[in-house]
Amino acid sequence: MYKLIIKLAFNNAFIRLSRTILVVIMIAVSMSMMISLQGLYDGMVLSMVDKTKRSDSGEVSLYNKEYRVSKALSDNITNATQIKEELLKRQDVNAVVQRLEADGLSATAKKSAFSTIIGIDLNTEEKFGGFSEFLKPQGELRLDKRGVLLGSELAKTLKIRIGSKVIFSTQDATGEINAIALRVRGIIQTNNISLDASALYVDAKVLAKFLGVSQNVATQIAIRSDSPTLKTELTQKYPDLDVKSFLELYPMMKQMQEIMVIFNSITFFIVMMVVFIGIMGVMYVSILDRIREFGIMRSIGMSYSLIRSQIFLEALFVGVLGYLLGAVLGYGALYYLENYGLDLSEFADGLESFGYSSIIYATTKVSYFSSTFLAIVGASLLSVLLPLRKIKKMNTIEVTKVDI
Amino acid sequence: MIEIKNLNKYFYKGEERELHALRDVNFEIEKGEFALLSGPSGCGKTTLLNAIGALDSIDSGEIWLEKREIGTLDEDERTKIRLNEMGFVFQAYNLIPVLNVEENIGFIMKLRGFKDEEIKKRVLEVATLLEIQNKLHAMPATLSGGEQQRVAVARAVAPKPKIILADEPTANLDSKNSKALMDMMKSLNEKEGISILFASHDEYVMASVRRTIKMNDGAIVES
Repeated sequence: MYKLIIKLAFNNAFIRLSRTILVVIMIAVSMSMMISLQGLYDGMVLSMVDKTKRSDSGEVSLYNKEYRVSKALSDNITNATQIKEELLKRQDVNAVVQRLEADGLSATAKKSAFSTIIGIDLNTEEKFGGFSEFLKPQGELRLDKRGVLLGSELAKTLKIRIGSKVIFSTQDATGEINAIALRVRGIIQTNNISLDASALYVDAKVLAKFLGVSQNVATQIAIRSDSPTLKTELTQKYPDLDVKSFLELYPMMKQMQEIMVIFNSITFFIVMMVVFIGIMGVMYVSILDRIREFGIMRSIGMSYSLIRSQIFLEALFVGVLGYLLGAVLGYGALYYLENYGLDLSEFADGLESFGYSSIIYATTKVSYFSSTFLAIVGASLLSVLLPLRKIKKMNTIEVTKVDI
Repeated sequence: MIEIKNLNKYFYKGEERELHALRDVNFEIEKGEFALLSGPSGCGKTTLLNAIGALDSIDSGEIWLEKREIGTLDEDERTKIRLNEMGFVFQAYNLIPVLNVEENIGFIMKLRGFKDEEIKKRVLEVATLLEIQNKLHAMPATLSGGEQQRVAVARAVAPKPKIILADEPTANLDSKNSKALMDMMKSLNEKEGISILFASHDEYVMASVRRTIKMNDGAIVES
């Protein structure tokens, strides 16, 4: 019995081949575009999250309890090196960096800007977040005694090029205003807006000496880890320190993720409406074309529930075929965008000022395909409710009377 | 086998009765009958056939199919009656265009849950009786009108219904095909013992039947 229903549904779904193919292509193209957009949206946010973690916070950061409010050099972690060593011994910690920061003023002969000097160790930063990937072309990743790497936006503000000189002045540990002359070795672009606009990276030892603090001192210890419980465990272990997760330090990222979920949902809804209307249109016309056929079926004793199953199956054939083609196209598009990216260099200034890369790489999630499949099945089934009403309300005698 | 008692049917325009289509109709059809409802166009033949075939509702009266009253059943029950007890042959053939001849003939048997081997055997048997056994894999659109109507008859006969109701089965056929179809249906009636009730004013049908029930203005005038 069900073999017969499947055969009827299959044959009828493709009886008007050009019309069915058109709907299948419409579903496939709109679905692949939707999947590509979802991948790009998620890719944009994931790229921002990834770069922010790599350039600054890691998954968890430790501070002196007062530091994030006072920003005073005195509110530091005095035994940072020891804590770092302890952390590195943990199985669930992938990398740790300790950084020393101080706010101050950067100046050239003509320009000056509020900025933050950050003492780093290039080797540990490389292990922590691939720091060298942030270096813009032309510069070199070298922090010698006077070397400095400048945030890209700060470099623009100060109108500085590679090799230019910059003076950074700040209050040292003794409370005295002190200044250091530095030579720009490279420009760093992390796409972390606050860092790019204010950061001067110098060697941690040089900065400790300049500020008059021990090399064991840090203002931040950042940790890379996949453990979801790390923050809780560290909060218990270091009750005197301020233990912050990535999202606590960057709540905007959480908002951006939520905004992207909304964007994706809207796109998803629009595409599903297209699928719904497309299948409904083709099924409605198809049923009107075949209303006599359904009349015959009813008059010779086929139950309404079997006709309903046949119509559902017809819609499913069209929807699932569109889905399969759309999944192949969508996967192809995502594969390209994941590997080669979407080059929006023409809008680089605008994008970078919002923390986005000018080349956007997509990400691929199984959920794009599974949720779309469920939605297309749902849209296919819903789209035949109106055509089915037509069958339910038809007058069997009248529709079978039609002349041949 | 079928007994009609005081059957009345009206056609409505809105809530107003527009036409008294069947007026106090009373008659019986015995098992194995080969009968005709005849009368001028618009006299109510098709309306009566539709009522007997549980295709249409009635306003008053009773329709007994063996020991069951079917005139007051709801649509789902009527559908079951049509599937399990009746066979239909329409003027316009009404085959299912996406199924081939074999599948069309076996369609009702399939709906009734017969086994595939049983269906295959019976389809071949009926197709041979109706001389369409070499067309089993053809699609309806490739057949002539006469062949399509024979397929429709085969579909009605295959599940061995209690009665076949045939509404103007020869109306779209030429005289040669009309005669051939009637000869075959008569032969089926004799061999299979299936009751057949026609509604027609075709001379070939009139000449073939053993009983004629005459109608005029919705009433039986001679049975």
